[in-house]
Amino acid sequence: MRLEVRVFSGLEKFMPGARFGQAIEVERPEGTTVAGLVDSLGIPRSQVFTVLVNGRHAAMDAVLQPGDRVSLFPPVGGG
Amino acid sequence: MQGLTREQRERYQRNILLPGVGSEGQEKLLRSRVLVVGTGGLGSPVAYYLAAAGVGYLGLVDADVVDLSNLQRQILHRTGDVGRPKVESARDKLVALNPDVQVEVFLERLSAAGALSLIEGYDIVVDCTDNFATRFLLNETCLRLGKPFIYGGVLAFAGQVMTVVPGAGPCLRCIFPHEPDPHVPGCAELGVLGAVPGVIGTIQATEAIKYLLGLGDLLVGRLLTYDALSMTFLEVSVGRDPGCPACSQEMR
Ligand SMILES: [Zn+2]
Repeated sequence: MRLEVRVFSGLEKFMPGARFGQAIEVERPEGTTVAGLVDSLGIPRSQVFTVLVNGRHAAMDAVLQPGDRVSLFPPVGGG
Repeated sequence: MQGLTREQRERYQRNILLPGVGSEGQEKLLRSRVLVVGTGGLGSPVAYYLAAAGVGYLGLVDADVVDLSNLQRQILHRTGDVGRPKVESARDKLVALNPDVQVEVFLERLSAAGALSLIEGYDIVVDCTDNFATRFLLNETCLRLGKPFIYGGVLAFAGQVMTVVPGAGPCLRCIFPHEPDPHVPGCAELGVLGAVPGVIGTIQATEAIKYLLGLGDLLVGRLLTYDALSMTFLEVSVGRDPGCPACSQEMR
């Protein structure tokens, strides 16, 4: 299935060629979870503070659906 | 309220000219109360712009003292302020900028015990903190009181901002349900470009003034993200999480 992935705020550094917030199309087997996607992208899970799927928070064990838009954020917590 | 003095008409002339503001809006700002939690990189521009705009009552909360390493981005503080409590350093600058503004300082870390009675007295809260534990406390307290709050955060070359209006959109924990892993590096390890909190704090101040005056569209359900390196702003639409640990209970 095809997924649309965006990485934000510094997570770009874990994905060669990724640009801030720009959609990257990836192909993954049916049944792929959020955690499985993050692992396959080479991003350490500990660095991913929140995952939004179609604009809503998703848990690491959530199963992704074809066409899902997945956004990954680190903790942007400084003040 | 007796209306504006001649001096105030002059000071706030550029505000008063704006559509939707006028003398009435300016008087409203002068009667408004904003709590700024944190007087560092975000709190500096937030408090400075709010004071300049004539927001009449500002509460400042911060337990820290000014450190030399703060001055690269925390523009309310000066070299001579190193070692002083940030809230006192901040108050001096704000009162010097605009004597119309009453500044109340709280030299303390926001606590679960004190948050409710503190926030109760304000119209809106601006989150200028540097940690998610305090943000979650602000989020939950503001939900309970039905007060809006404006999240801001920065990291290295990136920043984010979102406005939470209870009942009108997602809260902070709808999108960030848990505290981050304590081992994940933050600004202390990765650094932060000083102008980045300037950008984000300026947006937070803009949101606060819009809210107080009922102007425009707030960043409700819209996480605005900023990347200084590509010089890009991107808006991410975010929705309420029915399983949110904060607002799914509060709203029931
Ligand atoms: Zn929520």
